Amino acid sequence: MASKEKVLTKADYRSAILRSYYLQNAQNYGNMQGTGMLNSIWPQLRKIYKGDEDTFKRVATSNLEFYNTNPQPYPFVSTLMLAMYDSGQNEDDVRAVKMALMGPLAGIGDALSQFALAPLFSTIFASLALQGVIYAPLMFIACLIGVTFGVRCLMGYLGWKVGTSIIDTLSDKMQALTDIASMIGLTVIAGLSVSFVKVNLALQYSTTVKGKEQVVAVQTILDKIMPYMLPMLLTYFVYWLITKKKWTIYKIILLLLVLGIGLSAIGLLKP
Amino acid sequence: MTFTIWQALLVGLWAAFCFAGQIWGIYTNRALFIAFGVGIILGDLRTAVIFGATAELAFMGFGVGPGGSTPPNPLGPGIVGTIMAISMDKLSPSAALTLSYPFAIIVPFVITFIFTINSSSMETAKKAIMEGKYRKYKWLSNLTLYGFMIFAFIFGFAATESTSALRAFIKIIPQWLMNGLTVAGGLLPAVGFALILSTMVKKEYIPAIILGYVCVAYLQMPVIGLAFVGAVIAFNNYFNGKKSSKDNDSDQGGNDGGIEDGI
Repeated sequence: MASKEKVLTKADYRSAILRSYYLQNAQNYGNMQGTGMLNSIWPQLRKIYKGDEDTFKRVATSNLEFYNTNPQPYPFVSTLMLAMYDSGQNEDDVRAVKMALMGPLAGIGDALSQFALAPLFSTIFASLALQGVIYAPLMFIACLIGVTFGVRCLMGYLGWKVGTSIIDTLSDKMQALTDIASMIGLTVIAGLSVSFVKVNLALQYSTTVKGKEQVVAVQTILDKIMPYMLPMLLTYFVYWLITKKKWTIYKIILLLLVLGIGLSAIGLLKP
Repeated sequence: MTFTIWQALLVGLWAAFCFAGQIWGIYTNRALFIAFGVGIILGDLRTAVIFGATAELAFMGFGVGPGGSTPPNPLGPGIVGTIMAISMDKLSPSAALTLSYPFAIIVPFVITFIFTINSSSMETAKKAIMEGKYRKYKWLSNLTLYGFMIFAFIFGFAATESTSALRAFIKIIPQWLMNGLTVAGGLLPAVGFALILSTMVKKEYIPAIILGYVCVAYLQMPVIGLAFVGAVIAFNNYFNGKKSSKDNDSDQGGNDGGIEDGI
């Protein structure tokens, strides 16, 4: 292992964390995030290989290859790579680490940001907005950007701090964190899903109660037995279509459109 | 009401910024946030936020497509739906949501198109670097971003400029169909919720799902309270749950017939 004089300062690593936002700026079907990935560590590489243009070009172009991970924990990769390059480690080793991290980080990042944080904040602030809290969208964005930026900083710090040995313990910790966030998220989502999906039966019948004609809506009876029964059944039906029947989203949307317009036209459902 | 050219330009710029957020990963491309800005520009924040929240909940699960499919994009309802909701007094949020769905479905095609035409990115970037044209590389490394922003700008501008056409189109929709669209708008959020459930559900989360339903259906609990209840069950699970976290690694969407309670 060749060792060399380290040239990167903490400020360089900080800038690498901020530059992680460039990762997907050139997203495409060829090398996915590859082109943007190089851009996210460009000035740091320039600094490391100052005065050795040929090596710089070789290392730079090698980082254009296919890459596809979740952008939130990505700084872990970029700072770790820079630390390795800066200490003069073998380029192949750096590449191996980079490729090894792609999958796990995508999994962790997706689970945390896409499936846990985003839906959780989404449901909370959207329902606040519906209750008339007009600045809820700002709080929503502040929470999401704040939390994900925190994740990026933490990951960037960890990548700079340590080698790959941490990824196992990190996975466990992240798993626990994701579990907690997912559970809170699911409680909120399950609760709100039934109240935001609206299925109202328009059916009613007349009955004589104590000698008086009364119109009874079937919906009221259903609500007495089990509130939000129909929205729940509908959500589960769509869930079943997605998981068991492997329907595409577009097919399901079309089905619900037809159902909504059709059932409303024949007077079964009402707005 | 008709909107001025300045308002149309602002909506275009706002759309470009929000849509760029999809690339940067800063969540500005969510319906709730897009609608908020459109509401400020077009001068009816309240209507915009109410509609934005409706669309947000319907599109919540669309951040992720199962199996790499591109899901409908919230830019459609966020821009077009908000404009409809603001410019038409009698239009319910649900109906506006349904009417803006086609636009949500157009956007992924444009995204796919941009990703496709930029597919040779690696080769061109490599060539530029090898020839020492670093400026050219810088430009190449932002190409998808520019594509996204240009498209979103045109989309926002055109949508605002064609408000009267949209209005005329909505006016000719008969009442029975409008009712149907509103009903459909009430059904559609089920897709978003089911999609997010399908990506998140594991067996050990089922109690949380039932609890969430009970809190809302029988106790009419507000959402913050609901989050606290979720926290209770999550921490209880964390501290008192099975200590073997090895056997539940990421079996995403795999409900093994464990959910028979209709949720």
